[in-house]
Amino acid sequence: MKRLQRDAVILSLIENLKVNGSWCGETHIQKATYFIQELFRVPLGFEFVLYKHGPFSFDLSKELTAMQADRLLDVQLQPRPYGPSLVPGDSSDLIKRNFAVTVKKYHSQIAFVAEQFGDKKVSELERLSTALLVTREIEPDGSLESRAQCITRLKPHVKIDEAQEAVMAVDQIVEKSYNVKTT
Amino acid sequence: MAKYIHEIRDPIHNFIHLDSHEREVLDSRPFQRLRYIHQLGLTYLVYPGATHRRFEHSLGVMELAGRVYDIITNPINIIHDSVRNVVPPKDSYKHVYWRLVLRMAALCHDLGHLPFSHTAEKELLPEGWDHERLTLEIIRSDEMRSIWDDIKVNSEDVAKLAVGQNSYRDARFNDWEAILSEIITGNSFGVDRMDYLLRDSHHAGVAYGKFDHYRLIDTIRILPKEEDGSLEPVLGIEQGGLHSAEALLLARYFMFTQLYFHPVRRIYDIHLKDFLKEWLSSDYFHTTLKDYLKLTDNEILTELSRAARDESFRGHDPARRIVNREHFKLLYQRNPKDFEKNPDAANAIFEAVCEEYGEKKVRIDLYKQSNKGHEFPVLTDDGRIVPSLELSDTLKNVPIVAVDYVFIDHELREDAQIWKKQNLESIISLKEEDNS
Repeated sequence: MKRLQRDAVILSLIENLKVNGSWCGETHIQKATYFIQELFRVPLGFEFVLYKHGPFSFDLSKELTAMQADRLLDVQLQPRPYGPSLVPGDSSDLIKRNFAVTVKKYHSQIAFVAEQFGDKKVSELERLSTALLVTREIEPDGSLESRAQCITRLKPHVKIDEAQEAVMAVDQIVEKSYNVKTT
Repeated sequence: MAKYIHEIRDPIHNFIHLDSHEREVLDSRPFQRLRYIHQLGLTYLVYPGATHRRFEHSLGVMELAGRVYDIITNPINIIHDSVRNVVPPKDSYKHVYWRLVLRMAALCHDLGHLPFSHTAEKELLPEGWDHERLTLEIIRSDEMRSIWDDIKVNSEDVAKLAVGQNSYRDARFNDWEAILSEIITGNSFGVDRMDYLLRDSHHAGVAYGKFDHYRLIDTIRILPKEEDGSLEPVLGIEQGGLHSAEALLLARYFMFTQLYFHPVRRIYDIHLKDFLKEWLSSDYFHTTLKDYLKLTDNEILTELSRAARDESFRGHDPARRIVNREHFKLLYQRNPKDFEKNPDAANAIFEAVCEEYGEKKVRIDLYKQSNKGHEFPVLTDDGRIVPSLELSDTLKNVPIVAVDYVFIDHELREDAQIWKKQNLESIISLKEEDNS
């Protein structure tokens, strides 16, 4: 996917997250993009690593900064405890209009991820995305219990019952994602 | 071995102190190589004073890393329980160990740099290699391992902190390690950046890079970054240091726009890359350490000079452009009017100019700042922890560095400028995707 096509997908994701109740901080966008790539293999090409609080892409972070430089995104301050939001910038309509075909192609995947995660708090997103990473990369055959334990080993600030809940939720989301029709 | 404290004079930090263990690293062959790697590549062709090397920068980074460590781990500066659990108690074995590791990592963070600190690593190194990977390889090498074994330091700990998680993606960092690597490579308060801004500014003779680093370092704290139910320990500052933090970020902006991205400096860098690509017999720099460590700017300069004089020499054309100052000239640069019509305007122009005048006569240079580093927690005078953007209008408005240049052979510039004027609008108009 070319850079501006990728930016169009990110802009659409942000709009959909917002519609579903998200305040769209960078963490929301990071985790939602991780889910889009991991659940649906949408070829955005971002490399994610397990960072302090779950999967994080330095490449995506760089792209979000580049989008601000190009006025595709703006930063909007939110009252505490929320961090700054990323919102579509002055030039975003141009990209959405010119790359409408790409956005349409991935619309159902974007909508699914936004519906599932739009209303989640940052701390929940961290647990859910870490649960998916553990399930996909570290313990693909692991039981619920062993995956939950793995999460608490990797992220000691996560309690075992929170980890178990996250693994269960992620299993259900993965199951539901199979029903999403892709074009 | 008896432990002595050595002192080295430095134009930025006055004295840099190092102990005998650190002296062993300084005396090693990979570190001594940095004496012959220019910090700013060929920038001295534009700013004649900018002839300083990676060697003194690495010493400066070590000095500042030690200072930051002492401040942030001082018990009176640890004000939040979530942070207290992360930091080893002062004077404990772990506290002393990690201070040593941090300073060693700071000393070693640039060991893998290519000659002239060249940044075109994708084109000059085999796939999967960059200077950070070379740094990791050097830190793990037999030569360095004997030093680590001698001082009972785990080389992997040094490696992780030296390159940070952005570059060492296979490694898992706990909160403490992430904070320590942030001291060196962090976007907001990384001492690598602090040292290079001060040092480059001093040597280039420009004032833009200066800021009150004494005040800034004194006010750095580990603070919990709170966001919607999530607490993440990161480097932040006390409110009294906010103006110094603003000055640091403004210094970075001005240094990037005025010095690092000076168009003539950038085109010299591109000609040097072209020369290296032609000159390297295997297309890439060797990544076996034995061969890699032999190459410094000295060897390249000798070859560059020979190639500039001899037409039959590989890389003659780009070499003569550098040596005889016949570099390509700026034809186009990024501007708001154009990138609002097409964020990729420079690329569109580059492709069109290549088609018109031929690829060999045109070069492109695209850069966007990778992270702003404007967001960090601030400990206010009344004990609250507040996001920096809430307190500082300056931080909100520091622009993001973005530079797009298209260069053309100086002999074609005049003609190309007329051609560009006639065709610009149609070239940069963004076409809609079709459904096919």
